[in-house]
Amino acid sequence: MKPLRTLTLALTALVILCSSAGAEERLKLSTTTSTQDSGLLKVLLPPFEQKHNVKIDVIAVGTGQALKLGEAGDVDVVFVHARKLEDRFVADGFGVNRKDVMYNDFVIIGPKGDPAGIVKAKSAAESLKLIAAKGATFISRGDKSGTHTKEKELWQAAGVEPKGNWYVEAGQGMGPVITMATERQGYTLADRGTYNAFKGAKTDLVILFQGEKGLFNPYGIIAVSPAKHPHVKYDLAMRFVDYVTGPEGLKIIADYKAHGEPVFFIYKK
Amino acid sequence: MDFFSESLQTALGLIAAHDPDVLNAVTVSVVVSIWSTLFAALAGIPAGVALGVADFPGKRVAVTFLNTLMALPTVVVGLFVYSVISRQGPLGGYGLLFTPQAMVIGQTILAVPIMANFTLSTIKGADPRIIPTALTLGAGPFGSVCRLVVELRFGIMAAVIAGFGRVIAEVGIAMMLGGNIRGYTRTMTTAIAMETGKGEFALGLALGLILMSVALIVNLFLNFLQQR
Amino acid sequence: MNILYRLSNIRKMYGQRTVLAINDLAVCARKLYTLTGANGSGKTTLLSILAFLAQPTSGELFYGGEPVRWKNGALLALRREVTLLHQSPYLFNGNVASNIAFGLRVRGIKGDEQRRQVEEALELVGLSGFGRRSARELSGGEAQRVAMARALVLRPRVLLLDEPLANVDRSTSSLLEELIVNLPGQGTTVIMTTHDPEHPDRLGGELIHLVAGELTGPIPTFASPVKEGEYEQCRPLKKPAASFLTV
Repeated sequence: MKPLRTLTLALTALVILCSSAGAEERLKLSTTTSTQDSGLLKVLLPPFEQKHNVKIDVIAVGTGQALKLGEAGDVDVVFVHARKLEDRFVADGFGVNRKDVMYNDFVIIGPKGDPAGIVKAKSAAESLKLIAAKGATFISRGDKSGTHTKEKELWQAAGVEPKGNWYVEAGQGMGPVITMATERQGYTLADRGTYNAFKGAKTDLVILFQGEKGLFNPYGIIAVSPAKHPHVKYDLAMRFVDYVTGPEGLKIIADYKAHGEPVFFIYKK
Repeated sequence: MDFFSESLQTALGLIAAHDPDVLNAVTVSVVVSIWSTLFAALAGIPAGVALGVADFPGKRVAVTFLNTLMALPTVVVGLFVYSVISRQGPLGGYGLLFTPQAMVIGQTILAVPIMANFTLSTIKGADPRIIPTALTLGAGPFGSVCRLVVELRFGIMAAVIAGFGRVIAEVGIAMMLGGNIRGYTRTMTTAIAMETGKGEFALGLALGLILMSVALIVNLFLNFLQQR
Repeated sequence: MNILYRLSNIRKMYGQRTVLAINDLAVCARKLYTLTGANGSGKTTLLSILAFLAQPTSGELFYGGEPVRWKNGALLALRREVTLLHQSPYLFNGNVASNIAFGLRVRGIKGDEQRRQVEEALELVGLSGFGRRSARELSGGEAQRVAMARALVLRPRVLLLDEPLANVDRSTSSLLEELIVNLPGQGTTVIMTTHDPEHPDRLGGELIHLVAGELTGPIPTFASPVKEGEYEQCRPLKKPAASFLTV
C-alpha cells in the first residue's frame, strides 16, 4: 500500500499549492524577457503586492508574444518597449490608457578590435552601413521585438538591405543574442540594460556606438481593454498602472541600479 | 573545468542556504510531475494493456499512431493545449492558462503515449502462459488480464518511471503553459532556461545538478516500489 | 458411465494447416485416459479445446450433454469445472500458498477455509510446510507438485494434464502417478498426455492415440459397437449430474 501513501502525500502537496494560489487576488502581467532579466520587477512589484494584498504573475516572453497575450485576454496588463506595436495594440482596441513609464537606450556593441571601424561613424545608421560594407558578422534578434524593430528602422535609414552569411537572424532574446555575438565576435544592437548585465563576466564585447536620439528605447504600460475582454481585472490593472507611473513607482525605477549603474531613466515632468 | 567546479559550489551553496526560490522551483517541478505521471498512468497503462491483449480491426494502425506520438515535441503539445485553454480557446472560460494545473494537463498528454508504449512492449514480451493459466484456474477474462498486469509489475513500473523522467525533464510545456511565474509556475527546468538566457551558465548548471539530485531521489523511491 | 465430452466433426486449423481433425470421440466421466502421439500430433491442441481455452474452427463440442457455447459468460462456468495443467506450468509471483490459493480466491473462498484447503493440498503432494516458500525458488519436481496442488485444490470435474511426468525426479514421479491413478475413483475425470510408452500400461485407463491430428487405433466413441471385454460402452447422458463430488 506504499503507492497509496505516496498518492496522499502528493495530493496534499498539490492541495496546498492550489489553495495558496486561490488565497489572494492575482494580476497577470506580460512583459519582455529583458525587462524581467534586468531585475527591476523584483524591486518594483513587492510594495504594490503587499499594499493591495495582490500577487502579480509576471509572464516574460518575447515582445510579440507579450502583446499577443494581451490581445487574447490571457493577461490583464502589458508592459513592453515597442512604441509602434504598442500604438497598434491600442488602435486595434486591445488596450486602453497607455502610459509612458521609463526609457533607456540602445547601443551598438562589437568586438574590441572593431573590424568595421564603426567607432568613427557619425550616426547609428552609418555604423550599420560600415558593418554591411565590411561584411562583418552582425547578429540580429530576428524576433519582431522592440530591439528588432529598431534595428530594422536603422537598416532602412542606412539604405541597406542586410543579406548574406554575415547577417545572422537568431530568433532569440537579447541575452542569448549577446552570447551568440560574443562567441562569433560580431556586432549587435542591444538595449543598455541587458548589455550592462552581461558586461564583464559574460561578454567581452564593448560599446562602439551610442548616444543618438534614434537609439531611444521607451517603455510603455497598457491595461487590456475590458470592452474586448470583460473578464480582465481592469480596476486592479489601472491601480497598478497608477502605481508604476506615480511618484512611488518612478522613484524605485530611477533608483534601481545594476552593477552600480542605473538601468532605466524616468521622464522629467 | 573551472566552470563545472563553480557550478558545483553554487549548487551546494543554494542547497545549504535553503534558497527559497530554488526550494519553490523544486516543489513545483516535483508536484506537477507527480500529478502528471499519475494521470498519465491511469490513462496510458490500461491503453497499453488493451492494445497488447485485445485484437481488433485497425490495431496495427493504432500501434503505429502510438509510436508516432512518442515523438511529440513538447512545444507542440504546449501549443496545442495553449490554443485550447487560452481565453480565446474553447476552454478559455476556466482561466487555466499560466497555472500549475495547465502544466499538469500538458505533461499528462506528453506522458500518456510513453506509458502506453512501454506497457505495450511489456505485455508483448510477457510469458504467453500467464493468461491461459489464470483462465483455466477459473479467473474470468478481466481477472486474467489483471493477473497479467500484476505479474508484469516490474515492466509496468518501468513505464511509470520512464513517464516521470520525461515530464520532470521537459521545459517546453512548463514554459508555454506555466509562464515561468516566480513562486507559482517556475519549475527547475524553466528556471534553468531563464538563467541560461541571461548568460548565467554556471547558475543554470547548478540548478541542473540540483534537479538531477531530486530526480535521483524520486527514482530511488520508485525503484524501491518496483522491487517489492 | 456417463458421457462427459462428445466431439463431433471437430476441426482446428491455423491458417491453411489442419492440426486436429476428430470426427467422433466420447470421453466418459470418472475415467482415466492417456493421450499419446508424436510431437505435433495435436495432443496439446485437443487438451486446449477440452479445457475450453481454444475454440475449434468447426464442429460441435458437447459437455455434460449440452452443446458448448463459446461465449464469455458460459465459458467462465465451464472453465471452473475443468482445469488444465500445462507441460511446464507457470507459477505466479509470490509464495507457494498464494499460488495454490489462486483458484480459491477467484471462487470467493477466503480466510480460514482457504488456508485449510491450501494446507490439505500441500499435504496431498508431499509439500507440507512449503507455504511460505517463494514460487521462484523451487526445484523442477517441487514446482510440478505445486502446480498439481494448485489444480487439485479446486476439485475439478475434469483434470487435463500435459506431460505431467516429463521432467520430474523419480520420487515426484511416483507420488504424482499415485495421485493421478486415484483421481477417477474420487470423481475426477483425468486425461493426460504422455510420451512414455510404459505409462498407458502402468497407469491403466483408456488410450487415445493421435497421428497428425487424427485418431487412430481403437477409438472410444459412443457409436461404436460394443466389443466383448474391450470397451465399456458409455451410456448416453440423461441429465447432467447436479453434484459430481462423491469424495
